[in-house]
Amino acid sequence: MSKIALRTAIGGAAVFATAIALGTGPANAAEANPCIGNSGPVTGPAAFGGKSIRMGAEMAVDEINAAGGVLGKKLKFIQYDDRGAPPRGVDNVRRIGLRDNCVAMLGGYHSTVALAMRDPIHEIKMVYVGVIAANTNVIENGRNPNYMFRVSAKDRWVSKFLVAEALKRSPNNKVGIMYENTGWGKGAYPNIQAALREQGTKEVGAETFNWRDTDMTPQLIRLREAGAESLVMWGLDREGNQIMRSLQKIGWNPVKIGAWGFAGNLGELAGKLANCSLIMQTYSWMGKLEPRAQKLYATMQKRYGIKSQKEIRMGSGVANAYDAIHIIAKAIKAAGSFDRQKVYEAMFKVKHNGLVMNYNPAFEQTEERHDAILPDAYKLTAWYDGELLPLEQTPCK
Amino acid sequence: MSAALQYFLAGLGIGGIYALVAIGFHIMWSSAKAVNFAHGDTLMLGAVLTIVFLDHGFAMPVAILLSIGVAIVFGVVLERVAIRPFADQAASIGWMLTTIAIGIMLESYATIEFGAFARPLPSPGVDKPIIIFGAGVFIQELLIPFVAVVIVVLLGVFQRRTQLGRAMRAVAFNRVAAGIVGVNVLHVAMFSFALASALGGLAGILVAPVIQASATMGLLLGIKGFAVAIIGGITSAPGVVIAGLLYGIIEKFVDGYISTAAREAVGFSLVIIVLMLFPQGLFGRRELIKV
Repeated sequence: MSKIALRTAIGGAAVFATAIALGTGPANAAEANPCIGNSGPVTGPAAFGGKSIRMGAEMAVDEINAAGGVLGKKLKFIQYDDRGAPPRGVDNVRRIGLRDNCVAMLGGYHSTVALAMRDPIHEIKMVYVGVIAANTNVIENGRNPNYMFRVSAKDRWVSKFLVAEALKRSPNNKVGIMYENTGWGKGAYPNIQAALREQGTKEVGAETFNWRDTDMTPQLIRLREAGAESLVMWGLDREGNQIMRSLQKIGWNPVKIGAWGFAGNLGELAGKLANCSLIMQTYSWMGKLEPRAQKLYATMQKRYGIKSQKEIRMGSGVANAYDAIHIIAKAIKAAGSFDRQKVYEAMFKVKHNGLVMNYNPAFEQTEERHDAILPDAYKLTAWYDGELLPLEQTPCK
Repeated sequence: MSAALQYFLAGLGIGGIYALVAIGFHIMWSSAKAVNFAHGDTLMLGAVLTIVFLDHGFAMPVAILLSIGVAIVFGVVLERVAIRPFADQAASIGWMLTTIAIGIMLESYATIEFGAFARPLPSPGVDKPIIIFGAGVFIQELLIPFVAVVIVVLLGVFQRRTQLGRAMRAVAFNRVAAGIVGVNVLHVAMFSFALASALGGLAGILVAPVIQASATMGLLLGIKGFAVAIIGGITSAPGVVIAGLLYGIIEKFVDGYISTAAREAVGFSLVIIVLMLFPQGLFGRRELIKV
């Protein structure tokens, strides 16, 4: 090593050590930057989830900035790719919180990533607002103070919702469960069981499947032989299609009711086989839209090249992210500062009439109510001829 | 009875997919003593490009031919830039990393251009299942193992009856000796990669109606196909097909009679046991290296 290089290295190390000793890193700055980060899948099989978050968040940020920004500053939205991989998600939290020094961040698509983010979020003490990943323990994590918030569904509440709808359609209360063998699916399974117990019954069988499985006949044969009248399904579109095709192969047509992982393009993949598969969502962009949603849809057409309403994949994610950004902006205003701790405290003061529901208030200081979207706002939609429509707009029951 | 038959038929379909992938590995290994670990992504190319060409208004036969053509070009280029510079060096395994890297890049590019969602490739073979003694199966699922068997038969004929085929066998037997007697070893290797890629592209088109086309469809198929090629004995074309079909059927019986969660554990345990008992694979030829 040359003398100059050696001196530069020693000098750099000295500056770095001094910076650490004095605690002058950006993480310790009282005022964070006026940016909201996001770690979501921008590439990989769930990239549509990342895109839905980006669309909702950017439209909200644009509206806020057009109205003068927050505390006189323009808000910025920064998205990083995690491809659904927890280590990347953890890394992204640190990029958003330490390097970009953002005031808050939105969560991504995968629950496994969200679960892994809990530790770094609490190390940095930055508000996290989940907008898709729905695992119960992401929010209900036993920490106090708890920096994890969510403007999305909660699996425990979704389970109750789906179980209630399944039992309505099962004359003998015989419900089977099909769930994916992932953190999301495994996290939901005890929630579904508990929801069934609450209704005084239990599942006739529970089966798992893996991502990219191409045949589900063994699992479905077992559930059929166990007498299931309805299936509560927890998974994603690609595997949902294989469930539909396997049901066709074994000539069985039970009631199918699923979590919103089947809200992407199941109807395109399975065609009419998916007809009347019931899917829970927090928001639907199909059919007649209220004026505010109509305006947002026009923006999506212009800015993101969306040609028809059914092209809006994971539409709940768009609406949730849109509402979440507005809620964070209101919390910053209520805090009167970009100080992360003050913003955290102000999250409980926000009331907001959003796209998904009227948040009054958005959050309360109990673990359960760090979730903003209440079960009353959940909607049942149905696949019909390739479109995911509000149930009442289909002939399905 | 119908449940067991259902598992058997489903396993045959899946096993046929593994077999088709494994044949590609066999062809490449035989002539170059190296394989393309992005071979799963060659299937993806075939399936995804067929849909892209259909989107652009091409008729299905034209779309299929164009996709296979692109797959061939991919195989040839990959052999030239990612295999040949490394395979010639003694004991080099650099081609492993280069082909894996190219596969990852291809998958990422396909995700950006094609989108993240799986898409269906229309085929009359998946419109309605046929019912055999109470068990349902799509014709497309039966077509896949059938095509795998036909390819192995044709490959055998090609290798025995044509000059190029004989050259492939000679290179597979001994590269140096084949070169000494006038066989252009590099051209044979390039042809083998082109052939494997053509079959890979075709396999992608055949399996897409069953498993859907997506940018990420190749990864698992590539891994399972390679595992099957190793079990069957990568030097034996009939061996890898038989191993593929057996592996698929065993997977479905494990799914059916044990549990879905146990499938991969049982499957890969079998791979280990087979390799301990038969290091050259079930049907592979023991390779002698003279020093």
